[in-house]
Amino acid sequence: MSEKKNGQVRIGVYICHCGANIADTVDVKAVAEYAATLPGVVIARDYKYMCSDPGQELIQQDIEEHQINRVVVAACSPSLHEHTFRGAAERAGLNPFFVQMVNIREHDSWVHTEREAATVKAKDLVRAAVQRVYFHKPLEKRRVPIHPEVLVVGGGIAGIHAALTVANSGKKVYLVEREATIGGHMAQYDKTFPTLDCAACILTPKMSAVKAHPNIVLWTYSEVVSVDGSVGDYKVVVKRKPRYIREDLCVGCLQCIDACVFKEPKFDDEFNLGLSKRKPIYIPFPQATPKVVVIDPEACIQLRTGKCKRSCLEACVERGAIDFEQKETYEEIHVGSIIIATGFKTFDPRRLPQYGYGRYPNVYTTLEVERLVNASGPTSGQVITRDGRVPKSVGIILCVGSRDENTNRWCSRVCCMTSLKLAHLIKEHTGAEVYIFYIDMRAAGKGYEEFYQRVLNEGVHFVRGRVAEITDWALDPSEEGKLVARVEDTNTGFVRRIPLDMVVLAVGLEPQFDAHEVQRMFGISCSLDGFFLEKHPKLAPAPTYTDGIFIAGLCHGPKDIPDTVMQAGYAAAEAIALADTGYFELEPNTAYVVEEECSGCKSCVPLCPYQAITFKEDKQKAFINEVLCKGCGTCVAACPSGSIRQNLFEDEEIFSEIEGVLAYA
Amino acid sequence: MERQIRYQREADLEWAHQFTKHPGCERLLSCIQCGTCSGTCPLSIYMDLTPRQVIALVREGFREDVLRSQTIWLCASCYACSVECPQKVSITDIMYRLKREAIRSNLYPKRFPIPVLAREFCDMVRQRGRNSEFWVVFRMAMRSNPKILLSMARTGWELWRKGRLSLRRERIQRINELQYIPATSKEVD
Repeated sequence: MSEKKNGQVRIGVYICHCGANIADTVDVKAVAEYAATLPGVVIARDYKYMCSDPGQELIQQDIEEHQINRVVVAACSPSLHEHTFRGAAERAGLNPFFVQMVNIREHDSWVHTEREAATVKAKDLVRAAVQRVYFHKPLEKRRVPIHPEVLVVGGGIAGIHAALTVANSGKKVYLVEREATIGGHMAQYDKTFPTLDCAACILTPKMSAVKAHPNIVLWTYSEVVSVDGSVGDYKVVVKRKPRYIREDLCVGCLQCIDACVFKEPKFDDEFNLGLSKRKPIYIPFPQATPKVVVIDPEACIQLRTGKCKRSCLEACVERGAIDFEQKETYEEIHVGSIIIATGFKTFDPRRLPQYGYGRYPNVYTTLEVERLVNASGPTSGQVITRDGRVPKSVGIILCVGSRDENTNRWCSRVCCMTSLKLAHLIKEHTGAEVYIFYIDMRAAGKGYEEFYQRVLNEGVHFVRGRVAEITDWALDPSEEGKLVARVEDTNTGFVRRIPLDMVVLAVGLEPQFDAHEVQRMFGISCSLDGFFLEKHPKLAPAPTYTDGIFIAGLCHGPKDIPDTVMQAGYAAAEAIALADTGYFELEPNTAYVVEEECSGCKSCVPLCPYQAITFKEDKQKAFINEVLCKGCGTCVAACPSGSIRQNLFEDEEIFSEIEGVLAYA
Repeated sequence: MERQIRYQREADLEWAHQFTKHPGCERLLSCIQCGTCSGTCPLSIYMDLTPRQVIALVREGFREDVLRSQTIWLCASCYACSVECPQKVSITDIMYRLKREAIRSNLYPKRFPIPVLAREFCDMVRQRGRNSEFWVVFRMAMRSNPKILLSMARTGWELWRKGRLSLRRERIQRINELQYIPATSKEVD
């Protein structure tokens, strides 16, 4: 039993009315009078709003005047006001962990109607808290220092914006990108809705800013392979894949590409989604950053067989940037926080065979059409079908792989606007009749509804109905040689067959194919849909449950470019704030091992969801890293010898609380 | 049972494209298919196509479906839909345009009293410069449903007795000057 100050425990109990929220259902006066009779209680009061300034002052005054050294506040949920009352106690010179809250609002007045019974319950809960707080120990919050460097994973628009923001605040940033260039999906788009700004025109200046920034270390063609440590000090290992080109020597003259023994491009160009070809030595796209070529080891004859004329070497003889001996290297860095911006992948429409993607050559995805309408795309901006015709009628099918229990349940948010944009561009390029098959038109955003109106007035046909199938089976002479969409048009009220030259599937957005590995490596969580989970869906949409790790962009869920940039800026601001504070305060409700009692059975080690427990081989004891411990209590309950304890949840505290709530008053 | 599916060859897209060029039909393409017009219309409960459907059909080029429908003839021109429409589509004006086209294309329902009434009214004004109520109603009934005259006979008799119904066929002077107006407007259209 801990003895304090004047040698004894002196408890103050404060019952909050919460306006009428509590007082209407609970007889607060009676609870206060009852509390005053409990052993150890020196003073018991009720007040209209305990959380208000006068309410808090009441507690502070009692601590000073009546030498209160334990405080019980019966009010709302501790998640709302625990910090308020701990702060009040601290200001009066009391250790803040001598405060215990009782939730008589959510747990009592809001869920009961009978006043008498609710009052009895309030008394029981207060008695439990009084008995518990008796055993409270003074605890200290620990602080861990924060490394000012920040790691950004993923070089799409989210990663680019986050990296630039952090770098502009004067902190060093490592930007790691898996592909040979930064830019991500945005670099593949033609125009952006609703302003029809050219995507490359607004993105490439930011890309070159990243390359030129003195505070940014840009590692493309690289991947994070391991993450260790915790907030403030993450040890990260980055694998730098060989591109067989020395980045420091290559100037991007591209003469090696002309010189390659392959006279014609032969291999599918990933950037143009296979709509065009490239050589084994290539640059992803003209504005690639860094402007350094890359060799595909699967395609290059020298790398595959070792028997090639190596005409590329001759072309680069002056600079000598080509290095077939290059091996992968590993870099180890220490960073204080990490921003994850690993992006998304598009839904593979082969999973919906009724739309014939992969079977009918003139069925495209929205991303492919983005390349098709782009002036530097595979057709130089001409919208022509795979059989070389200018389409006279084009159908865009929405919600392909979205809002569908058979594939993905969520709305992918951007497809409506993307389709409106593409409808506009296709109409502009070809003058074709464009049909948009939609379920709901979702144009929520600044200027978006106005853009919808613009496209409506351009004469695009909006057919409300989800297309059942795309078929080349003509039932009518007018359908010969065309793809036919069979759909119920709920606007006109009948089922229609619409012949089309080109079908565009507005594919939904999905988590990256390796999202689960990334999630495990960084120790964050995923929501049910597989996207990374934020700390709070409304009020903390960039932090995660792992301190010092933030998420930005599409890895967190479908969103458009402005929302991505906003979230990236927010994640960057959180990282900057963390680095500027210089330390991170840890809650003291962590578990600890009483080493003398630990038998070294290792039961606890795999149970910890935060990887906070390690086994010390030299001592044969378990060790808990309190920086990583979130105080979930799993190990405390699991320890067979009872040698793991937890601050604020000591056995005596919990048992006396249980006795208190069960005692018959 | 009637076939319900529509093939695209049944749609007249050229007609649909031209439609917005007619006065009052400019905002047709702004329609967002919310159905406010159908909900507002006091007569939509009797219509075969709701006003919202009419607009969708016009946009998709299903000309005959629209011109043959009773909806355009049931429209009483109360303008409630035009007032309520969130996109300021002049639905009433579109209805007038469609009525005109239905008459010209000879697609209107022949014995349906409303187009008959419209035609008789216009003919009478064109020929005599005045509308004589008794004769308009009489000729409308004769051409749509003569039996209706029997049910109206008693009311007619009462009105006549009290001097509220004139059997005279009125006429203005210098009718040729009046006839000049519709003739000119026809040229302009």
